[in-house]
Amino acid sequence: MSPDAIVIGAGHNGLVAAARLGLAGRRVLVLEAQDAPGGLLGEAGGMRVAAMPTGLDPEVARALALHRHGLRPGRPLATIALGGNAPVRIEGGSVRGIDAAAAAAFADLHRRLGRHAAALAPMMAKVPPRLRDGGWGDLMTLARMGLGVRMLGRAQMRELLRVLLSNVWDLLDDEIGDGPLSGALAMEATLGGAMGPRSPGTVLPLLYRFAGRPRTMPEGGAGAIVAALVKAVEATGGQVRTGARVAGVLTGDDRVAGVRLEGGEEIRAPLVVSNAHPRATLLDLLGVRHLDAEDARRARLMATEGMVARLDLTLGAAPGVPGAGAPDLCDRMVIAPDMKMLETAFNAAKYKGIPERPGLECHWDAGASRLAVSAQFVPCGVKGGWSAETRDRLLSNVVSAIDDALPGTAAKVTGVTLATPADIEARFALPGGHWHHGEFRVDQMLMLRPFAGAAQYRMPVAGLYLCGAGAHPGGDVTGLPGWNAAGAALKDGRRA
Amino acid sequence: MTADTSPRAAVPMGLVPGPFHDRLVALNHQQAWMNWMGIASPAVLDTVEFEYFAIRNQATLFDISPMMKYRIAGPDAEAVVNRLVTRDIARLAPGRVAYAIWCDAEGNVVDDGTVFRLGQTEFRLCCQEPQRAWLDDVAWGFDVSVQDVSGAIAGLALQGPTSCAVLKDAGLAGIETLKPFEIREFRIDTHPVTISRTGFTGDLGYEIWMTPDDAPGVWDALMAAGIPRGLRVIGYHALDMARIEAGFLLPRVDFVSSETHLRPGRARNPYELGLDWLVALDKPHFNGRRALLRLAQEKPRRKLVAIEIDRDKPALNALVYHARRREVGFVTSALWSPTLKRNIAHAWVEAPWCETGDLWVEIYLQRELVWQRRMARARVVERGFFRHPRRTATPPADF
Repeated sequence: MSPDAIVIGAGHNGLVAAARLGLAGRRVLVLEAQDAPGGLLGEAGGMRVAAMPTGLDPEVARALALHRHGLRPGRPLATIALGGNAPVRIEGGSVRGIDAAAAAAFADLHRRLGRHAAALAPMMAKVPPRLRDGGWGDLMTLARMGLGVRMLGRAQMRELLRVLLSNVWDLLDDEIGDGPLSGALAMEATLGGAMGPRSPGTVLPLLYRFAGRPRTMPEGGAGAIVAALVKAVEATGGQVRTGARVAGVLTGDDRVAGVRLEGGEEIRAPLVVSNAHPRATLLDLLGVRHLDAEDARRARLMATEGMVARLDLTLGAAPGVPGAGAPDLCDRMVIAPDMKMLETAFNAAKYKGIPERPGLECHWDAGASRLAVSAQFVPCGVKGGWSAETRDRLLSNVVSAIDDALPGTAAKVTGVTLATPADIEARFALPGGHWHHGEFRVDQMLMLRPFAGAAQYRMPVAGLYLCGAGAHPGGDVTGLPGWNAAGAALKDGRRA
Repeated sequence: MTADTSPRAAVPMGLVPGPFHDRLVALNHQQAWMNWMGIASPAVLDTVEFEYFAIRNQATLFDISPMMKYRIAGPDAEAVVNRLVTRDIARLAPGRVAYAIWCDAEGNVVDDGTVFRLGQTEFRLCCQEPQRAWLDDVAWGFDVSVQDVSGAIAGLALQGPTSCAVLKDAGLAGIETLKPFEIREFRIDTHPVTISRTGFTGDLGYEIWMTPDDAPGVWDALMAAGIPRGLRVIGYHALDMARIEAGFLLPRVDFVSSETHLRPGRARNPYELGLDWLVALDKPHFNGRRALLRLAQEKPRRKLVAIEIDRDKPALNALVYHARRREVGFVTSALWSPTLKRNIAHAWVEAPWCETGDLWVEIYLQRELVWQRRMARARVVERGFFRHPRRTATPPADF
């Protein structure tokens, strides 16, 4: 029996979309190219690309009853900024390891950014408004969005508008000065993207992270999220089929008719929801023949250069943190001693070079004796292409940066798994190997995500929806793109 | 598709001479040049009146070399051209020409032009505005090459009742069997030319295409053959009069291309322009199809209509009123037609008055520095004021 809906890709957003469709009574088939579900959150190829996920949106988790499917949210992870004189521990607005004046300045900044983020939060979660022709209707739409900002009060609104499109370097340098704390925050603002701390528009991603969920490690690790989502899909009668790579979307009479798998099998369904990258969905799966020239151009030119390499280092012994008050190694460790170092790393990446000192985010999995490392500012399209030499250079740069912050770690390394952005691109058919399925910057957000005219999850051919991180509100493990996309599909289904 | 990577010379300052420039200089007694795509093009050579009446009564030569011309060739050429324009190009046979428009994703018109199907897999697109970037976008992902051949092809419009006779006198055997919108190869003197029975005047006429090297020789041969038939070289102003009579639209004058408009809501779709007949919604996906399917269901908010106006003063730049009071539109092209003896214009009129309005135009006249205003009644009529049976008669009568 053919399904009511097909979801392409069993990443977390695909699974969320499938579960929501299932709850609405649709028989859903999820097709996953890898041998295991989860996408970047899964363990395909022996490595979890998204090693330290943010928490799912609580409303999504509640609506899908994920607690009944075994998901136990753990505690929010603290951030330990390494590389300075002493480790700096950041938990929300409180910070330890720096002097009291600096800590107070940070607490004040944190409170203000939190208010700004809260003013922006409603537009982050909701389906983005539709912009038509730039006329009065659009201005009204934007005005409604601006109302939340206006409610901040005059002074705070001015402050938000002042910093909103500026760069995170200026903001942090003005407020708290450069150092490990600023380094960690600048890392937060730039991780996954192709912008350095001094690039305009980097305050916005920081606010976005403030508005979103903190990173939490659920009981049983990041894989527990995937397991619970798969159960949620199956509980509604849905099916997740792995090892099934979709080669194309079938159409008839300008409507979606199903999908064709690699190998030729065709599965018919009137609704197809794609968790693939927007470019892959439109140009590779649907095909340029079905697109207007503008959409093809925007899909082709959208910014999606991945900048994160993932390394799993197996260590003979746990890494040691210098100084007293050794932090919990299972927290989130950031090695970005200052913003200057990050900007220098970005400079190398901008010209397709490998930075001497990439920004690092690490997480120690004691059970597996494994240090999961995300190295920021490693360009997908490195100059001259990826070779054994460039991979070795990246590895040695990463290990020596870790060794500086956690002395003695280099000697403990017994095994290495490295996935460059190019590896991630190839493994997941993910253009640019970009975590967020497209750069997270102001011209690719809200009603411009993934690009103008393609927002609101509906793809040009009726019955085809985009549910991945390329859709609003974008990256991180919130499940909101999947939730909203399924909502859009159901709404259209009721209307039809 | 492959990019055209041929090196380009630096762009010179001012206007550059076209392939017929030497000949035009000698005849351009007014020295009135216009800028047409950076090329010096005559606005008027002697007097507009002489030139206009030559279009309607004799034969005229007009240099159309500055027109933009693109060669679209390759295995996917038909697919690309069909994806570009709103007409069904699959039904255009090789050796035929079609007038066509193309739209953006919102269904607004980018430009209009003529599509020449030179072969199964080779097309030439002629249009007013540069379209290279647009064509590259439309062709992306297809096995086709797009080349700008504007400079490589010279063109002459030979229009008027005696134009066929001029060509016969120039020794073109069989020209009288060339049907409207047909293309055929000929020789003029020793020069190979491609002739299409197309034009911009609503009357009998031909467009003659050749290399710039052959251009002076073709010109001389035509002029020699044409003198007994009243052949006259004309400039743009006279042609524009014939253009308005024929009811053809001009981008930038009658509508703004969706690619160049700046203000929101200024772009126009085929239904507003009255070009529904050019939109083949039943063919597979083409650019703007989804928007056009929706627009086809809606009533246009305004329409470009042809109006006929009482009294004799042309309604240049006039505002259009309903019941003499309510402003409902404006005139884009206007002319007292010397041949029809009618006061005609194209005007944008808002719905519903474009259908059933009690329409008036406010005409402004300046007489020895003093401005006067006149309200004149206007009626919506069918576009294409001048459509002579000569335009389609094959063989054309021998004048």
